[in-house]
Amino acid sequence: MTLLLDVVTTAGVLFTVAMGLLVVFGVLKIINFAHGAFLTVGGYAALVTTKFGVSAWLAWPLAFASGGVLGVVVERLVVRPLYARPLDAILATWGLGIVISQVITLWFGREVQFAQSPLSGTVAILGDTYSLYRLTLLGVSVGLGLIFAGLIEGTRLGLAARAVIMNEDLARGLGIDTRRVRLLTFVIGCGLAALAGALITPLSSVDPNMGVPWLINAFMLVMVAGASFFSLALASLILGGAQVVVSTFVSPILGGMTIVLFAAVVLRLRPAGFGRD
Amino acid sequence: MVSSVMGAALLVATGPLILDTYSVSILVRAFLYALAALTVDVLWGYTGILTFGQAAYFGIGAYAAALIFTHVGFDWSTILLAAGLAIVAPALAGLVVGWLSFYPGSTPLYASVVSLAFPIVVTQMIFSGGTFSGSSSGLVGYEVFDLSIEAWFRIVGGVLLLAAGAAYMFVNSEMGRLLVAIRDNEMRCAYLGIDAPRVKILLTAALATIAGLAGFGYANFSGVVAPEIAGFVFGTELVIYVALGGRGTLVGPLAGTVLIDTASSYLSGDLPYVWQLIVGLVFIVVIVALPNGFTPLFSRLWRAIIGRRGRPRHLAVVLESPRMDAATTTATLEIVGVAKSFGSLKVLQDITLSVVDGELVSLVGPNGAGKTTLLRCISDGRERSSGTVRVNGEDIQGLPPNRVARLGLGRKFQTAAVFESLTVAECLRIAGVLRYRPSLTRPLHVLHLPEAARAVVETTGLVNVLSRQARLLPHGQKQALELAMVLALEPKIVLLDEPTAGLTSAERRRIGHILTELASRHRLAVILVEHDLDFVREISSRVVVLHQGRILLDGPVDEVVGSRLIRDIYAGSSHD
Amino acid sequence: MIEDVSVSSPPPVLDVKDLSGGYDDTLVLNGVTFAIGRGEILALLGRNGMGKTTLVRTILGFLPPRAGSVLLFGRDATGRAPDLLVRDGVAYAPQEKAIFQDLSVRDNLRLAATSDRAFRHALPRAFELFPLFEHRLRQKAGTLSGGEQKMLMIARALMVAPRLLLIDEISEGLQPSVIRQIAAVLRGERDTGTAVLLIEQNITFALDVADRWAVLKRGGIDDQGTISAGVASQIADHFAI
Repeated sequence: MTLLLDVVTTAGVLFTVAMGLLVVFGVLKIINFAHGAFLTVGGYAALVTTKFGVSAWLAWPLAFASGGVLGVVVERLVVRPLYARPLDAILATWGLGIVISQVITLWFGREVQFAQSPLSGTVAILGDTYSLYRLTLLGVSVGLGLIFAGLIEGTRLGLAARAVIMNEDLARGLGIDTRRVRLLTFVIGCGLAALAGALITPLSSVDPNMGVPWLINAFMLVMVAGASFFSLALASLILGGAQVVVSTFVSPILGGMTIVLFAAVVLRLRPAGFGRD
Repeated sequence: MVSSVMGAALLVATGPLILDTYSVSILVRAFLYALAALTVDVLWGYTGILTFGQAAYFGIGAYAAALIFTHVGFDWSTILLAAGLAIVAPALAGLVVGWLSFYPGSTPLYASVVSLAFPIVVTQMIFSGGTFSGSSSGLVGYEVFDLSIEAWFRIVGGVLLLAAGAAYMFVNSEMGRLLVAIRDNEMRCAYLGIDAPRVKILLTAALATIAGLAGFGYANFSGVVAPEIAGFVFGTELVIYVALGGRGTLVGPLAGTVLIDTASSYLSGDLPYVWQLIVGLVFIVVIVALPNGFTPLFSRLWRAIIGRRGRPRHLAVVLESPRMDAATTTATLEIVGVAKSFGSLKVLQDITLSVVDGELVSLVGPNGAGKTTLLRCISDGRERSSGTVRVNGEDIQGLPPNRVARLGLGRKFQTAAVFESLTVAECLRIAGVLRYRPSLTRPLHVLHLPEAARAVVETTGLVNVLSRQARLLPHGQKQALELAMVLALEPKIVLLDEPTAGLTSAERRRIGHILTELASRHRLAVILVEHDLDFVREISSRVVVLHQGRILLDGPVDEVVGSRLIRDIYAGSSHD
Repeated sequence: MIEDVSVSSPPPVLDVKDLSGGYDDTLVLNGVTFAIGRGEILALLGRNGMGKTTLVRTILGFLPPRAGSVLLFGRDATGRAPDLLVRDGVAYAPQEKAIFQDLSVRDNLRLAATSDRAFRHALPRAFELFPLFEHRLRQKAGTLSGGEQKMLMIARALMVAPRLLLIDEISEGLQPSVIRQIAAVLRGERDTGTAVLLIEQNITFALDVADRWAVLKRGGIDDQGTISAGVASQIADHFAI
């Protein structure tokens, strides 16, 4: 069933895109509104590999690294002064997003461009043919989710991050360097965003503002999901599925606002969203 | 302020004479945006609601005009219809968005989320309208008023000046101060009986109308509407203008919008991306390093040049005539079988006590005994897990704090919850809004205070600092101010949480005297949570001892204070 | 005045001089002076609201001091960030919410160590102090009883062999048997040279464990001395009303 595959692959893409935002929101308690711009950076990293004629698979590590490096600078200059002012952090990172997209425009031009996909063609599955790349993406999403869930549960940094999420004061009282935890978390979140950007470019195209619609959807998903990867996956599945269904059976334009509307209503009725209270 | 108004009026009058047509038309559009930015400032700068959604109301107003003029026609009846729609549709949308965003327990982040979602929904709806709404290309070529650009300039400029003047009057009025109070401490407002969500919803609807009218003007002036004018990118641009100009100043956002938008129009031909880049960079710097925008800098400079000029406001403190029913109503607080649990943790169990007017009851007990939780259960009808609380005869089941306050219960917090940005007089005025509706136009100039509040204000020296900002008061006076505010509510029952915390011994004596007077002379029922047992012994008529969530002792002060039990509980020698 | 112990003693582990501080504009502490030496337990007593927790949090750097100084192991530590102090050998068992309810016993303990190798070395020490945890490592900390949670807190604090331990009202709400167990652990620690600042309202427990006492009242040390027979009633008088 193509519809089912569409739902699942769309959910996977949404999940990948929103993961970086969730990581940052959970630990730093701020929303990185430059997330869309980091997505775009990753997309252009993929474009760069195409232009240089190297293997498209290299786009992935290149994107993650670019996002991470940029994230270090951003955390130091923009985010760190605003930990106590979360609403202002939204504004400042939004401004940052504007700056990044203008720089990209100045460098690469504003026209739509195309990056090469590392995989092309279709595969026969469940009686239909379906894009091989989309299916691979699904696998990558699940893989990334598992890797990061593993990191959070298994490593010391993950444990420290969880401690900071639960009770930062207590974490400090135990000797955890919360500033370092925040920096590392932010850098990883930005790297993830850029990686997601590289992953989604083969699905459509690259342009300086490609990140913005993804930002809004990712933002709503994170708000609804609370603080766990699992509820983010659940939210991606349910809301992403709703988007696909509406787009297919009603209209693609209304489908575009399904996630936003759905999320706003869910949050009004249950402020904790899909997460635990 | 006066100088900026004069400068603006001058610009409006002479603009078309000195500037070329292109500049004039750019300015007209900038003025319309500035009108929308004004609404953002009132919402964000004054009331603390960060909104990206004002663009949506602007767009609704614009499309109302464009749709009617395109599909119905252009004559007096349709003009009136379009104008009416440009007023009603945004207002209704504002009510819906407000209802969605503001409710007891909503967070500012959620309100911002909704304000972001709304313009997206509106633009998507425009896109989905096909040829009816023009979809992504917009509507163009509909008939509009036949006015010269100069005439537009004067009309729009004049409207903007009027709107700015009205906004100025509004934010300085008592109602405007109420908005700031809500921004500073919404919880304190709730416990003063104010329904803050309702205020915010009505404000949103009213400002939506103004933004909608600005959009209406835009549609008429430019002759073209496109979905972008209802989109959240435009919405964030408005926020940027307000932030750079200076949030909460009115003048800043107006100047900021006009300057930046005009500059953008000129520069977007030559270096569009560099200009956007610069604006973005400056925006980031302002948010991080200069959160109040550029206006405060300029006004400081201005004042340094022209010399300071204080404007002391004359205030009359009027003693209010006693309420008709003051002598006859008695205060009663009945608490029956109240319990409070967090999951399996039982914080309060089986609490039963009654307090009547004239009593001064002290609630004592070690940390964790549940004292503050009990105060919460009395003042907020949704807190307790079981049991009944009746305030002056009314069951408070399910009532939020502002409704309980209206039954005649005042609560004073441990941390001197006052409105930091307001003056002492304004704080007291806000405390009395239940009794005296706030004026929408006039600033505070007469303060009505009931006798008890006035006594506190006079004996603690607050009467000498009525024009001082509350944040500048020393701790002891802040505590006194909060007490006076609670008394301005004219409660029959007063709850106080550690009123002596952080006070000097002189202040402690004064507060003790005030509280005793409240009970004996003003016949209030006073309940206080206190750790200072000497203080308790001096002023209380009755002491209730709480330990591990239960009432251990409840009796006249002499009986309880001397008992071994209190000493044992505090000294810890009897742990079973 | 601080009582001299001996002329040639090493610098006190914790030396607080004239410390003042509080919250926002409230001054809670007004010139607090005391010291704790190696292998010594000082009980800091006082009724609620007298500023005991404020004092600990100011010493640790959670609250900025207004005036005065804090010397730790002879070096200036006034206003330093808490995580730096902790990594220098200070352990803190706060009054409330001192463990991560949603983490396992093992993860709670693991957070105290600076590396996984250090954790492996330190874990047996935790079992020595409180053997019950050896078989409860996977249990979610929030499901432990109140007394067990406090024991976990102490195990975590002592596991890494700190030089100074600050405990805020550990005895609150505990059964006598658990209190006795904790008292024994603290005495054992003291014997190995750890300095302990014990904040308490429970005079009996404090007298049972401590070497010296001090009463905090209205922002300053009202009275202090060594523990000896008959001192209990002298202390209780400070609590009388």
